Amino acid sequence: MAVEQAGLGTPDDLSDEEREAVETLLYRLADDELVLGERYTEWQVRAPTLESDLALANIAQDEFGHARLWYDLLQDFGADEADLIYERDPADFRHSTLVELPFEEGDWADAIVRSYLYDVAEDVRLEALAGTSYPRIADRVGKVRSEEEYHQEHAQNWLERLADDEEGRARLQEAIDRLLPYALTLFEGDEIDARIDDLGIRTESLDSMREQWFDIALPFCRSLGLDTPEGIREDPKSFLPEQVGRDGDHTDDWRDLHDEMTHTYRELGRTEAHKIMPDPDETDE
Amino acid sequence: MSGEREDSRMDIEQVKERAGPREFSPKDDLPEDYRKAATRMIQFHANSEIMGAYLEKPFIRQAPSLDRKLAFSAKVQDEIGHGQLLYRAAESLGVKSRDQMLDELAAGEGKFLNCFHYPMENWAEVPMIAFFVDGAAMRRQATLKRTSWEPYAHAMDKVCFEEGFHVKHGEDIMRELATGSKKEQEMLQDAFETWWPRIIQFFGPTNEKSTHHDFSADVGLKTMTNDELRNAFLNAYIPKARKYGLELPDTPRIRDNDDGTYEVVEEDLDWDEFFTVAKNEYEPGKGQINTRAAAQDAVEWVRNSLDDWESKGGATTPQAAD
Repeated sequence: MAVEQAGLGTPDDLSDEEREAVETLLYRLADDELVLGERYTEWQVRAPTLESDLALANIAQDEFGHARLWYDLLQDFGADEADLIYERDPADFRHSTLVELPFEEGDWADAIVRSYLYDVAEDVRLEALAGTSYPRIADRVGKVRSEEEYHQEHAQNWLERLADDEEGRARLQEAIDRLLPYALTLFEGDEIDARIDDLGIRTESLDSMREQWFDIALPFCRSLGLDTPEGIREDPKSFLPEQVGRDGDHTDDWRDLHDEMTHTYRELGRTEAHKIMPDPDETDE
Repeated sequence: MSGEREDSRMDIEQVKERAGPREFSPKDDLPEDYRKAATRMIQFHANSEIMGAYLEKPFIRQAPSLDRKLAFSAKVQDEIGHGQLLYRAAESLGVKSRDQMLDELAAGEGKFLNCFHYPMENWAEVPMIAFFVDGAAMRRQATLKRTSWEPYAHAMDKVCFEEGFHVKHGEDIMRELATGSKKEQEMLQDAFETWWPRIIQFFGPTNEKSTHHDFSADVGLKTMTNDELRNAFLNAYIPKARKYGLELPDTPRIRDNDDGTYEVVEEDLDWDEFFTVAKNEYEPGKGQINTRAAAQDAVEWVRNSLDDWESKGGATTPQAAD
């Protein structure tokens, strides 16, 4: 998997500007996966069947595992896990607001629609990273991609089943109406994105990735008899929700979630997050 | 197993005669008493997996590191998987379907382990379940590899294998707390004092007070008595508790036989509470049953939608990738 060209080289080789670009991208990746995994676990012991419970728990664990891989790359720059998760100000997290929204009890349609919208975007994003100029990311994209493939398949299967009956379709429609604007935040960025593109850390721009995502997700939803809003392609910015997350502006639900996540760490007065598994660099194939 | 083959149906005496490890399978035409007793036992076990997972789930989120979160999430998932496996083993007796058993659990009629009727409030309580209760469960489950209902014994092979990792992880969480700050050590001791009597009661009342034991032992479903299991647990786990600096509370009194074995003074334990718990009438447990039931009720529409899909000849339900 290692990239042929020297590219940006090792963490130590990076200039300040390069490093800032790499970090910006990694924070979004890691935070998205962690927070989505956190939300998915809400379905453990609550999913409709034991089988669906196990399947979503698997997916949640994959997301945590991916978060771990991406946070590990951020640790190359000196931060430790406590800095990155447990002691970081919730306003410094850079995940999209799509992944932080809580689930209403019983709203399995939300879990499925959210998963689908996210997984398609994740696939597009990882494809744009397959040819990254930063070798540390390139080394890990393959593993993450192979697992994400199953996630998308899982979401698609469920969408097809639920869309097949009236109540299921109505619930999916509600979820799409509510979540689609939040999903657009996955493609939001800031002034550093131009540099990310120029440095080849990613081979597609956010705008181009959003187009690819529309190309896949919109026709699929429509093929199931689900409506997507008029004009969303032409003017996506006008559909964005109040909080986009990527800029650190989050919903109140995120503060509550972060508070719960860090509760034990604070209650015990911990100052570090203990490792119990081998470093990802030592388990690479 | 069908009523049409009356002549081939074994009677209880024949069952007792043949009873031995993994002796009976769905190929045998077993009498109703056996099938009911085995169903009751396996259903209890399956329910316990689900309610244990229910209790532990919040600590996936509250785990104090990402590694712990991953390991703990995998554990909760394993417990659900064990529930799935055990309901299947119970179903194979032809007495109740899985849906029936899950409905009974939601309705407060399904019985499960005493320990899972109590609330868990902080991380220091995690090893009380993940080390002591799971350790106790391991002892019992290991003996069930020799139970006479083969599908149950077979499920135990996988369950025991995975449970071995859980107990190790639980022990590691305990070690971390026991070697942590003074506050962590104090929280651990408090949790231990709260949970210790319940953990001892895990094995149920003494043999004389246990209603189901004799029959289950005679037909080979159980291979050890409550007392034997409890004593074996005490012998193994009292030294472990001490190793981590935990002090046994004054009650229940524990008799040290000075030969490496221990016994508990049974009348020091609150058996009224135990039997209230056993009837699903203990308050925190009731709340836990009902909250789970409400969550399951809220996704009833999904199950209906799936039934619909399957009856229309759709492909099978999405499965876990394993």
